[in-house]
Amino acid sequence: MPVDINIKEYEEYLNKMGLEKEKYTYMELLAVATAREMPDEAFAFVGTGLPLLAAMLAQHTHAPNMTIILEAGTVGPKIEHIPVSVADPRACYQASTLSTLVDAFGTLAARGYCTLGVLGAAECDKYGNLNSTAIGSYWPKGVSETGKGPDVRLTGSGGANSIASLADKIIAMMVHEKRRLPEKVQYLTTPAGLRGPKGETRYDYGLFRGGDLVVVTDLCKMKPDPETGILYLYEIYPGVDPEYVRQNTGFDLDISRCKVMEPPTAEELMILRMKVDPDRIYLGRKPKRKE
Amino acid sequence: MANDNLKNKVMTAKEAVERFIKPGTHIAFGGFTILRRPMTIAREIVRQGIKDLFVTMNGGTLVEEMLAGAGLIKWLETTYLGLEGGMPVAYAIRQAIESGEIELIEDYSNWSFAQRTLAGRLGLPFMPCLGDIGSDLIEYDTFKKGGLRGKREDGEFIHPGIPPKKYEIIDDPFEGFGLRPKRFKNGEDSCVNKTNAYRDGKIKSTKYTGKEGVKVALVPPLMPEVCVVRAQRVALDGTVRIEGLIGPDLDQSLCGRILIVECERICPPEELRAVPEHNQIAAHFVHAIVEQPFGAYPSAVPNYYDYDYSWFRNYVKEVNHQPKEKVREFWEKHVKETKDDWDYLYNKVGIKKLFSLRTDPKYHYNPNLDRFN
Repeated sequence: MPVDINIKEYEEYLNKMGLEKEKYTYMELLAVATAREMPDEAFAFVGTGLPLLAAMLAQHTHAPNMTIILEAGTVGPKIEHIPVSVADPRACYQASTLSTLVDAFGTLAARGYCTLGVLGAAECDKYGNLNSTAIGSYWPKGVSETGKGPDVRLTGSGGANSIASLADKIIAMMVHEKRRLPEKVQYLTTPAGLRGPKGETRYDYGLFRGGDLVVVTDLCKMKPDPETGILYLYEIYPGVDPEYVRQNTGFDLDISRCKVMEPPTAEELMILRMKVDPDRIYLGRKPKRKE
Repeated sequence: MANDNLKNKVMTAKEAVERFIKPGTHIAFGGFTILRRPMTIAREIVRQGIKDLFVTMNGGTLVEEMLAGAGLIKWLETTYLGLEGGMPVAYAIRQAIESGEIELIEDYSNWSFAQRTLAGRLGLPFMPCLGDIGSDLIEYDTFKKGGLRGKREDGEFIHPGIPPKKYEIIDDPFEGFGLRPKRFKNGEDSCVNKTNAYRDGKIKSTKYTGKEGVKVALVPPLMPEVCVVRAQRVALDGTVRIEGLIGPDLDQSLCGRILIVECERICPPEELRAVPEHNQIAAHFVHAIVEQPFGAYPSAVPNYYDYDYSWFRNYVKEVNHQPKEKVREFWEKHVKETKDDWDYLYNKVGIKKLFSLRTDPKYHYNPNLDRFN
């Protein structure tokens, strides 16, 4: 896609926002790192926020033929204003069709039009299983033995489980903290990886697609080892120490195969700033990571 | 038909709630996240203080957050609890589940739940789903643990809204014939997905059924007592036209027993019957029509008004991390003490605010709204 950005306007924008051409923020780095994992021609189920920003950036750079799908039933929108929800009318602008949830997961995903999904979660274990349901038991008070519900109740699956069951490739976005990357999730909402301490795979449970997973955190990217299914450090962001990543991971992370990611290019940053999120609604946010 | 007969279904929100919604009612609210939420009926439920509701939803949350905040939900059947717009997990619902005020919660995913509404809509005993397998959605069954599944001695189901099983996993009797991508006589499939592990011979799955086969999760129909949906227009006879994204609403509106439709405008049947292919719900399915312009506020109604992001930001500021009493107080002041939705819209929201949300015909939302400042 040709990018019609006026360089003079961009320079004025940088001045106004206090940004520099070659320097990037954490959120910009994350958007670029995620966008680069999105193949051209993909049919991508994305949520709002950073995943959508990354998808829009990918469309403006290496993946002009990617189709964005939102799980409430929107197919192929040309988004002009950043939506805050998958059902935001802003996410529907110039879509090819607007349909239903049954269509999003049936007519599209199950029928063969869901190659990529981008998911977030509270926990991601060493096999790439995701938890977005509950921490500290699951049972609600009516059937629990504790006289109360779970310690922390989270959003639940939403479309995450359905997308991970039907996509060829999953990008899981995580904040890289020890407690969020445990040996085993406390509730398995979404099998995003290959799974299995006993060598069993997702296929053994009857999931017929998927297995291609990349976990994008605010420090690095991890992928499952094709043999063991266990996540290893695959790419690290410029300036991050692999040992620091290992210490902030709740399972024993293999850092021996790690490469350093190419930093965001000036062009990627310019498109992200001028075309994708000029108001810096998401790019202006602080990283969630607690030091 | 005389016009008077046509008006039989038209009623106020107060009448509709009094007539159809009782303590313990199994109820589904339409719309999705911040889109076309039936807030008029939901606010009237808060005003009337109808308790112990069994609420069922596929990705709603704004309505349910209010009902949980007002302490009215007892059981919840759901897929997603995010209050979009600055609150990752809807706080009042989360608090109610953690403390035990919501006694039971049953989880599904968006797809399996949508298939449940489809089975209900189509009048079929179940629908298949290829998700949820391999996850804890299958392993944890709250209603079973609570003794609510199955039949009583007299042969009736223990609860008419709770099927005897959460899932049934079977081996596809058609041996994976319908799975895509597929190999056709004249070549490879045209769809973009490339993996089909059954076809590639990667799967020899004996999980769940004990036999080798293509695993399919069957889900039971969703059949609530009452479904509530918001549409742009409803004709006097009950014919419904929804504009913009449908989301869960076609299937979820038609899967239950009673359907209440609230709308921006009631119109003559001829207006919608002139182009019937644009209508979604036939007249006879609708039991109550409630007209309330701007009644979906603070959610969005395409071609009428946008969502009010400032409302969400203010809500997050007022209630997040506050004790239960504070949350309840918010909803009492904000909704319960209003007389009806006109009172709410005039005096709690203001006409100026409402008109600032009016949509642009090109975008179907308001592109000039300053949502973030």
